[in-house]
Amino acid sequence: MIKIINAEKSSHHSVIFPSFSMEVQTHEAAAIHSSLNVRTVLMDLLSGSASLSGGRIEVCGHSILSDLKNDNTHLSFLFLDEALYERLTLKEHILFWKKLFISSVNSDEILRRVQLEHLKKKRISTLTFSEKKRMHFARILLENKSVVILEEPDQNVDLETRRVIKKLMEGLKKEGKSILLLTGNMESALFMTDCIHRLDEKGLHQLDVKLEEDEPGEVKEETEETPLYQPVKIEKIPAKVNEKIILFNPPEIDFVESSDGQSNLSVQGEVYPCIFTLNDLEKRLVPFGFFRCHRSYIVNLQKVREIITWTRNSYSLVLEGSESISIPLSKSKMAELKEMLGLK
Amino acid sequence: MNHSIKRTMAIFQKDYKDFTKNLYVSSMVFLPLFMAAIYGRMGVQSIEMVFMIFNLTLTVIAAFTQSALIAEEKEKNTLRGLMLSPAGTGEILIGKSLVSFLISAIILLLSAVLIEYRPGNTLLIAAGLFVSILFYLGVGTLLGLITRSVMEASVAILPVLLFFSFSSFAMQLSAEYPILKAAEYLPNTQLVNLGHAVQSGAGFADGLPALLIITGWTIGISALVVVVYHKKMVDN
Repeated sequence: MIKIINAEKSSHHSVIFPSFSMEVQTHEAAAIHSSLNVRTVLMDLLSGSASLSGGRIEVCGHSILSDLKNDNTHLSFLFLDEALYERLTLKEHILFWKKLFISSVNSDEILRRVQLEHLKKKRISTLTFSEKKRMHFARILLENKSVVILEEPDQNVDLETRRVIKKLMEGLKKEGKSILLLTGNMESALFMTDCIHRLDEKGLHQLDVKLEEDEPGEVKEETEETPLYQPVKIEKIPAKVNEKIILFNPPEIDFVESSDGQSNLSVQGEVYPCIFTLNDLEKRLVPFGFFRCHRSYIVNLQKVREIITWTRNSYSLVLEGSESISIPLSKSKMAELKEMLGLK
Repeated sequence: MNHSIKRTMAIFQKDYKDFTKNLYVSSMVFLPLFMAAIYGRMGVQSIEMVFMIFNLTLTVIAAFTQSALIAEEKEKNTLRGLMLSPAGTGEILIGKSLVSFLISAIILLLSAVLIEYRPGNTLLIAAGLFVSILFYLGVGTLLGLITRSVMEASVAILPVLLFFSFSSFAMQLSAEYPILKAAEYLPNTQLVNLGHAVQSGAGFADGLPALLIITGWTIGISALVVVVYHKKMVDN
């Protein structure tokens, strides 16, 4: 387990994050959603190449710095910009790690778990970005440490790799590891973990993801309200950009995301902050074929191209045109969506 | 087997496999062999010539290979992975030096055979070459740590190569320019002196000062490497 106690960091006269505390127990995965800057600083702090301005970080009861120096450290890391020895074959690379970490885990078993077994005679340089990412996960599995720190593990990877990573994370949790995920992508945080914190210069806020479970009741109320919707007042959705107000036609909007109570309209890859709350927007947008697919997302169903089922309880919606954009779909909403689509 | 040795061997084996597949670096081993073969066929037997080949081998193979191996780890961002692994500073540096060391030793031996050099006291020459390899590995590691990419390392090695291959000739001019006397204490000149001493039938005791001076240089450069390595580790 990893414990962060009253940690704070400032540099060059500016606060990067004020004092906050959190902990990740065994069998738990938590995410810290933050800006790139905060994330980089956090990775430096966790890997011991920078030090806190105040507070401390403990790993399994010891300070993180003494743990890192220890031969039997409890930590293993996955950096975003990690590299492999391109000229080695996968098998050679795994064997190298195995010896380096004095690991007793079976190397073929590892390659099978990251679904690279069929490539084991190939050189690393022939792998795609996503396959290399899976290779890094092979290292995490080999290291077999009790605390795993991941930086943007599923950034830019293909769908298959995302599925593998998700599965591996479930496996690691089951084995009793604590996973801390650092990401700038809320969707990734929602997808990979169930405990999400947002960290910025104002501090740490835990996002209430658990509430999602109570939602069916709430949803019912809302769906009852929708018939009450009056004939179109204003069809356009206003967004504020630099003191200007821009009006969007609802069909233009791809999806709406809420973070920290602020709802953001996403239109053709650009994000515009909107004045209304997500609940208000839902009321306005439902008549235009929008759907509240998650506590913090409303999606334009016309733009949805694909519904991906990761596991029995986790789903994503992939939008048209932009392959990279996927939006979480919560379990309770899946049934509702199926009904709307006439699948049931 | 001790864990520390296991990890060192893991790095060694990885580098060995990597080296054999890295044509850019591994093709360099043919340069000194080629020169040794030519000079050997020409019947050149002067000690200066033989030791110029040796010094060239040491800079091209020991120093260059080593700097390229280290610089590549930095360039490709794999060094951080090693640093975060349980392997310590010593294990990483020794593991990474083993390949260059072995290759240098083999090439030196082959060069000596090709140029038909048969020293009177093989043991003394072997000891001198052994310490010299360590010194040049230190130079190579240092260059690899200072530069950021293999390209930079291969440019930075050039002045080193010229300096250590030819500065032993500076001695011949020292009568005219007294300042060049300082060159006498360079490790490469000492190696040549050792060669001369052995050629004139010197015993172990006569070769000892030269050996000690080269060892001194080796210890100095190793200390520098450890300091620079730690400094760079904090920087990153």
